[in-house]
Amino acid sequence: MKLAQGVALAAVVGLLGLLVWKVVTEQRSSAIPAAVAGGKKPSAPLFELPLLRGEGTVELRSLRGRVVVLNVWASWCRPCASEAADLEASWRRWKSKDVVFLGMDWHDAASDARRFARKHGVTYPLVRDRDGQVLSKYGVDGVPQTFFIDREGRLVGEHFEGPVDQEALSRNIELARS
Amino acid sequence: MRPALLLVLALALAGPALASESHPSLSELEGQVMCPVCGTTLDQSDSPAARQIKRIISARIAAGDTRSEIKAALVEDYGPAILAEPSKRGFDLVAWLLPLAGIAVAAAVLAVAARRWSRRQPAPDGAPVHLEPELERRLDEELARFE
Repeated sequence: MKLAQGVALAAVVGLLGLLVWKVVTEQRSSAIPAAVAGGKKPSAPLFELPLLRGEGTVELRSLRGRVVVLNVWASWCRPCASEAADLEASWRRWKSKDVVFLGMDWHDAASDARRFARKHGVTYPLVRDRDGQVLSKYGVDGVPQTFFIDREGRLVGEHFEGPVDQEALSRNIELARS
Repeated sequence: MRPALLLVLALALAGPALASESHPSLSELEGQVMCPVCGTTLDQSDSPAARQIKRIISARIAAGDTRSEIKAALVEDYGPAILAEPSKRGFDLVAWLLPLAGIAVAAAVLAVAARRWSRRQPAPDGAPVHLEPELERRLDEELARFE
């Protein structure tokens, strides 16, 4: 009987542990947009993701020392199409000034995503977070979204949930560079 | 006679399963594939992401892909969580085994408890009966009143 009680107790403790882990993880991820909105500068969760076009990966850590504009998108997302031209125009304007634009494709078919990039003439690097695991750390649950990361790897400025325009991009890039 | 009947039954059941594997339908797969941004299966969602996946499935069915090929292609694009059922390999196996283990543990606990309970049943006639000390004391007190 003692063995059975021990097994039952271990099972209950294990399940409770899983529940606590799930709640803590979700709170931590949703805390990032709230921290950015509150003017704090949380560290941008690190990642290494495969390029959408061509071979290789992009590692966020390797971009330290440069301002990063992180735009989350998907080919099935209509607002993403509406902001594509402004993102590309801003990239062309800022790329020579130590600013990197990084498009992160979210829950999307790779072939559709490549077609989207061709159609909208996107020339900045694009990576894939095929199952959303990386972006869940950023609290992302929809697209488009845009984050700004300063030279020290901290999330700064505004966090956009919805399309961005060139004016908003420039304003936040200037802030991240300062 | 009986083995022959079993063989006929097995073939009758295997037929539709094999047909579904080689000629899957969109409605069947819609219940087996998740919409990654809504947390439901495709048949419960009409979101843009779900519509994209339904279009991909339809195109692959038209191209003659089997159910397994279609699922493998979706996992390649969206990751393993795109499937409503976890795979039966690696860590995902836990999702299948845990409920069975839970049932086995519950059955073992019940069996042990039932055995202990049955031991507490009244002893047969003639066999010595052992009472709890407290009960025995109260019984002695009650009996003493009649003496």
